[in-house]
Amino acid sequence: MTVINAKAKDLKTISNKLKENLNEEPIEVTNASHLHGLVAGLKHGEVIIQGNAGDYFGVLNAGATIRVTGDSGNYTADNMTSGTIIVDGNAGYGAGQYCYDGSVIIYGDAGDFTATMNKGAVIIVAGNVGDETGTYMLDGDLVVVGDAGENFANFLIRGNVYIGGKWKSLGHNTRVEELTQGDIEKLSGYFQTYDIKADPTKFTKIVAASEKPFYK
Amino acid sequence: MTVVGAFCVSVNREVCINSRMPGKCATCAEICPHGVYALDAYTGEMRIRNYNACVGCRICAEFCPEDAIRINPAESEYIARYPWTLATIEEIHYKAQTGEYLLRGFGTQQPTPHFDTITVVPSQIASPEPRDKYREACDLEVVIGEGTCEKPLHLKLPFVWPAMSFGALSKEAKMALAIGAAQTGIATNTGEGGLVDEEMWLSRGYIDEDFTKKEWEPGGYLIIQWSTGRWGVSTDYLNSGDAVEVKIGQGAKPGMGGHLLGSKVTEEIAKVRGIPVGSDALSPCRYYDVQTLEDMKNMVEFLRDVTNYQYPILFKLGPSRPYDDVAACIELGADAISIDGLVGGTGCSPDIVTQGVGIPTIACLPPAVQALKDHGVHRKVKLIALGGIRNGLDAFKAMAMGADAVGFGSAAEIAMGCRVCYACQKGNCPYGITSQKPEMRSRLDPIEVGQQLANFIHACAEEVKILTMLSGHNSIADLSTEDLRAMDMNTAALTGLKLAGYDRPLSFWEEGYKPVAIKANEK
Repeated sequence: MTVINAKAKDLKTISNKLKENLNEEPIEVTNASHLHGLVAGLKHGEVIIQGNAGDYFGVLNAGATIRVTGDSGNYTADNMTSGTIIVDGNAGYGAGQYCYDGSVIIYGDAGDFTATMNKGAVIIVAGNVGDETGTYMLDGDLVVVGDAGENFANFLIRGNVYIGGKWKSLGHNTRVEELTQGDIEKLSGYFQTYDIKADPTKFTKIVAASEKPFYK
Repeated sequence: MTVVGAFCVSVNREVCINSRMPGKCATCAEICPHGVYALDAYTGEMRIRNYNACVGCRICAEFCPEDAIRINPAESEYIARYPWTLATIEEIHYKAQTGEYLLRGFGTQQPTPHFDTITVVPSQIASPEPRDKYREACDLEVVIGEGTCEKPLHLKLPFVWPAMSFGALSKEAKMALAIGAAQTGIATNTGEGGLVDEEMWLSRGYIDEDFTKKEWEPGGYLIIQWSTGRWGVSTDYLNSGDAVEVKIGQGAKPGMGGHLLGSKVTEEIAKVRGIPVGSDALSPCRYYDVQTLEDMKNMVEFLRDVTNYQYPILFKLGPSRPYDDVAACIELGADAISIDGLVGGTGCSPDIVTQGVGIPTIACLPPAVQALKDHGVHRKVKLIALGGIRNGLDAFKAMAMGADAVGFGSAAEIAMGCRVCYACQKGNCPYGITSQKPEMRSRLDPIEVGQQLANFIHACAEEVKILTMLSGHNSIADLSTEDLRAMDMNTAALTGLKLAGYDRPLSFWEEGYKPVAIKANEK
């Protein structure tokens, strides 16, 4: 395994090293919490960040599998189009925003505006999420095992939002719908794949009330 | 103000029922409460008895069963009725009936401080002598990103097509812009609606996706826009062009995001944008993934990283607080900054925003230039003026005020055939420019229209060259405010330019633009 010590190094240096060693999987990066935008736009490979990661961790991921063993900063997995990003700890504000595809798994809690404008990714938070989670989601699945804050799934347009706990308030343009057998099987698959202990039959499903809520 | 004689009443006698069959219809005479019309009880003929009595209520025109009546102001609507013009009246009626505000396309409609009240100062005996446009060279090239990235943009002419998205424009219009850019060595811009694949090779002058057949010289550039809706954005998208533009705002609707109404979201556009067919694509007004300037700085850094530090990073601003906004962009590491004035256009916006929000283009430039000078980067970090630039004359004036280049957005649409109907948002553009309907799109031949765009750019470049050389310069980089005079007090006050005749700036401009710090609690 290639180990890159990022201590006191800048983003360009570490990013170049990552790209040079991408075929020697997996690559481990240590002492990287000061770097924002680390592991950006990789199309393949496996990278493990030991400890915490900074903001924009895994931004524009295009196929790599990336794991952080501690917490990640704000905007984790921003604009991902493919691949998998796993956060063993907590994620900050706005994890999984603008994603088109791929999977984001956060084993701890996630902050406000998680999964905003998700356009097709699977975003799973095993803990709780903050306010405004799932805002203007356009497609994909958002699964929250714990509780959600205010304005949950605000102005949902398309996609599915599943929650195991409670929400403080539900956002505009939302509708609670019965779980189907397909939903239960899908959730079971997610939980099995990512080793999350939760009962899918206890989840609530939220969908959009209208695909066109703004202008007639 | 009296309304006597303010309106002309005309009746089309060919379709008027009463004219053809006296006595059969007298709706106008019956409905008019002001005695404009009179019905002859004996003959049954309707006639206009008193033109002067018409107050312009148009109730007769509305009730006429044959639509035969027209009521027009005898003078300009603005003299006859201002502020209660027919347009204002109709707008209020519309809101009263629907509860909705007005949306429309294009830019501002009413007179706005603009370049027309600025004149160019030619060179004579006391200043550097004029240059010969016909027999001497003039440097019009602009380089963006020199020393900060591996592949700077070398614009052959000081022009760009500003961002206009696929969705707002048809695919054919996007292709035509790319071809026009390729023929003139300038840059086109994806806008925020994702990439039309053809833009990649057409903008560089190639007619095939393998980049083997170069059809147009010298070849242009493609700017990739990064914006708040992030439509169709990926690592590949960012690497498919020659520069990345971070959109903060735009002139037509600063402080708002993008509006692409569902009527224009076809299957193809929905696929690129990742939204349901027919749903509204409303870009957020701000980046959900930026909360502080430090975040934005990190964003610029990862954009450079993802593009392997090859391409310049540009910023696009709406017309707000030009000094502070430009200063912020410099701090963020911009290689170029576009500032889009009030007169800037759009495919769709709330009418009141396009009409009434933002600083005029000519008033944006002095503070923007001062910010660049105060940071020691004027002419290094390039300033691109946008918003109502119509020709080489406007372009020259903007560059003499300190811009390095200008963008032609609305003018480009007009060069493609647009007649400025202000209805881009409806998706029915009969010239195929802003429509997604196949029957409309088929009217726009990208190669033919690309040539029109190139012709327009060549003509404007010649105009800039004429003005640059008659002002005594061989390069647009040498232009300065000394090459201009304001022709009225208002323009001198807005721009700091010397007032024609007085040959000095107004007293409060004598020390140049002085930035006023925004108080923390005002931010």
